[in-house]
Amino acid sequence: MKYLLAFAVAWFLAVLNVSAMPYVQVLHVTPDVVLIFAACWTMVRGRDEGLIVVPIAALLRDLTTSDPLGTSLLAMAPLIPLAAVVRLRAMATDFLPTVALVAAGSFFYGVISTLVLAATGQTTPWDDAFLRVVLPAALVNSLFTPIVYLPVHWFSPGRKAWLVGSTRYTSA
Amino acid sequence: MRVIWWLATVVAVGLVGIVLSEQRALDPLHDLSLTTTAPVEDGIRDIASPLNDIYEGVRDRGGLVRENRRLQEELEALKQQLAEQQDAQQRIRELEDALQVKQSRPEDQLLVANVIAQEPSGLKRAIAIDRGQDDGIDEGMVVLSRNGTLVGTVSLAYRDFAWVRLITDPESAVNAEVELQGPQPQPPASPQAVAPATTAPATPTPSVTEPGSVPQEPGSQPARGVAEGDLRDGLVLDLLPTEAGIAQGNLVLTSGLGGNYPPALLIGSVKDVDERPQSPFKTATLEPAADLSSLDTVLILVSFRPARLSGR
Repeated sequence: MKYLLAFAVAWFLAVLNVSAMPYVQVLHVTPDVVLIFAACWTMVRGRDEGLIVVPIAALLRDLTTSDPLGTSLLAMAPLIPLAAVVRLRAMATDFLPTVALVAAGSFFYGVISTLVLAATGQTTPWDDAFLRVVLPAALVNSLFTPIVYLPVHWFSPGRKAWLVGSTRYTSA
Repeated sequence: MRVIWWLATVVAVGLVGIVLSEQRALDPLHDLSLTTTAPVEDGIRDIASPLNDIYEGVRDRGGLVRENRRLQEELEALKQQLAEQQDAQQRIRELEDALQVKQSRPEDQLLVANVIAQEPSGLKRAIAIDRGQDDGIDEGMVVLSRNGTLVGTVSLAYRDFAWVRLITDPESAVNAEVELQGPQPQPPASPQAVAPATTAPATPTPSVTEPGSVPQEPGSQPARGVAEGDLRDGLVLDLLPTEAGIAQGNLVLTSGLGGNYPPALLIGSVKDVDERPQSPFKTATLEPAADLSSLDTVLILVSFRPARLSGR
């Protein structure tokens, strides 16, 4: 049931990503709500659910854009190991680690997408892609994280206080 | 260990998917996906479009130079007019505009298409339209705005839908020529670079309504270059001869060279000229004639067959 819900939300956000979100341009980039959703779900609901939801979100994103199917799957894959790295540092909240995950995940997403574009023979202006797209996207996606994080957090059982996390790893 | 296996699987599936997509084996899946999502995307775009007008108004306030402010006011007025119309009336007017374009280019066969989606990635500039191979759309076909200015080319054609690569996409390159009818810059001191003299008055206002009928000063030779998409500047006219007297406001049209675009389609106007003493070519930043960020309806020039090979 929870994966069905994740599928429905990811599909809606993927549609939103290509229809309404392009109107929202901050620093000349569009926030990627699908990536933010996948990162929030992984961080709030745990890695095991992330292993299922990240590929679902990635495939739905590719199906609604002109990217080759599989691009987002590759580009979002770092979310899972990054989530584990972010959780290594004990914090009393899930929110800040989620923002960090979104920023790092967006960066890797941009780099891998650019690599895929180059590998498929498309023109890739590396310097402009890095300075004008990859870095701004990491920042903008981080800024938009609360919009997706709060609903995901509220919907998760036992996590009503939005700043208090409960799934973190703690070091001894 | 489980994560490593997961990563290996995901990378393998991703690579296989990319290879299959490149071989066009997954086109039916993309087409099915767009068929499912198109009505929702269309509805969301209709809702988001007026909200975008408000957002744009707030975001751009205070940051405009004098000329931009004047243009913005014109744009705001037009947007306000549009916002006051009912959806149905707006659609009718768009189609009427399309019809006018068709009348102005009677030799061309144009197909009207609705924009249903826009590429969200900052690395690409593309829109999805609700016309595909079943409507006679083929890859490489030229796409115009409803005012008849150049928007881009069809880059991916599925059965019922297609993706259009905009002229601002880094992959886009259009053979273009500058109509030297505006004010000319002062001739440089170097005797090797002499700008052709024209007598046109200052500050021309580009017309975007009649792409094929731009007046030209007798005797003035258009400067040819290549209009390329650019992630930084949007649209850049490169490979211009150094002796070309390009000035802000000059109109840029397709030259027709290479056979990929018909001649005399309006691309945009010169916004800024970059001239470096050691550079063998001159470069200019262009302002696209069509508002590429808020396209609702486009026209596909189905009667023109581009010379380029179909492909991505």
